[in-house]
Amino acid sequence: MTPASETPEERDARAAEYVLGTLGARESDAMRAEVLRDAELAAGVAAWERRLAPLQALAAEEAPPPGLWARIAQTLEPAAPAARKWRFPWPAYGLGASALAAGLAAFMVLRPAPSAPLMTVLLSSQDQPAWLVESARGEIRLAALNPRGVEAGRVMQLWALPQGATAPTSLGLVPEGGRFSVTPRTIRPEPGMLIEITLEPPGGSPTGRPTGPILFIGRLNAARSS
Amino acid sequence: MSDAAAFLARIAGDDRAALQSLYKLQSVRLFGVAMAILRDRDAASDAVHDGFVNIARRAAQYDPERGAAEAWLGSVVRHAALDIARRRGREMPTDDATLGDMPVEADQLEAIAASEDGAKLRECLAGLAEKNRHGIVLAFVHGLSHPQIAAKLDLPLGTVKAWIRRGLLSLKECMA
Repeated sequence: MTPASETPEERDARAAEYVLGTLGARESDAMRAEVLRDAELAAGVAAWERRLAPLQALAAEEAPPPGLWARIAQTLEPAAPAARKWRFPWPAYGLGASALAAGLAAFMVLRPAPSAPLMTVLLSSQDQPAWLVESARGEIRLAALNPRGVEAGRVMQLWALPQGATAPTSLGLVPEGGRFSVTPRTIRPEPGMLIEITLEPPGGSPTGRPTGPILFIGRLNAARSS
Repeated sequence: MSDAAAFLARIAGDDRAALQSLYKLQSVRLFGVAMAILRDRDAASDAVHDGFVNIARRAAQYDPERGAAEAWLGSVVRHAALDIARRRGREMPTDDATLGDMPVEADQLEAIAASEDGAKLRECLAGLAEKNRHGIVLAFVHGLSHPQIAAKLDLPLGTVKAWIRRGLLSLKECMA
């Protein structure tokens, strides 16, 4: 998590350790969520990737098993061409969605076992942990970490964006008190799925897409942290 | 433009044949990158699979201005492998007692220096204390966590964290 008191040097050290690989699962997930929103941090991570990349040459080359290409092709085949041409679709991300931040999204990983429990912590725009999201057997559960109200005449709406999807799916309005469970019918919770809460007019977004600012965001990942 | 960069440009246009060509060109190197971290052919296959799925979907985001295509590909696969290592739970000391026991030898440093960017990195790594350099290589190349590096180098955890952080800072200053 990002403490508000973090100095630029500490931030850059965190970027370095993300690239080096020494951050734990939760910290590296948080970093990936942050670089999507923060072009400066994204530039820091990219600079570290470039600095340390020559170390890749220390790994001894080894031929992969013969069936691996077929497996990759198999995974990619069912995807419609539109889904493969995935771009970061949400306008509110536009602030950080420079080519840089988008490029950093490439370091995120898809897929593992679909049945494993998943979790993420949704962070505020100040990187404060605000909501715990857990998922198992297709259900998504939301719990407020620091219950707080929302401005009068507005509601909070929960959304999910599966990797490869072009538009987020509404999971419903966040009730007062902040506890909420839903089993979406059209999408399956999976690692890498973005979960976010936007501020919307009463009754929720009239368009079926987020219309208000993103208040909180996080990315689902395997619950067992390293 | 390298072959890999040219293939990436075509992959961004949904050219599956280009992806297969890139796989033929890079998979032996990339599988090695994943194996160095996971030391298990099944797990390394998963990492290369995840990496290539990402490469197919995000090829348009590769920016040649920001570094070599090969480095970008290696980074995507490395992070896929690190995620698998984290899911597997890597906070235990590694069970492979001999892993990374060899100090970073001169001929290894030569391998780093093969690229233009690498020459400077090699020079700067050579300026670090041996254990410091070793810790950075164990983390980057073999995917070891702080506790695993501490066990491997027989140093207190706090010392390892502070050394690696300082070592990275020295590298940045040296390479600036």
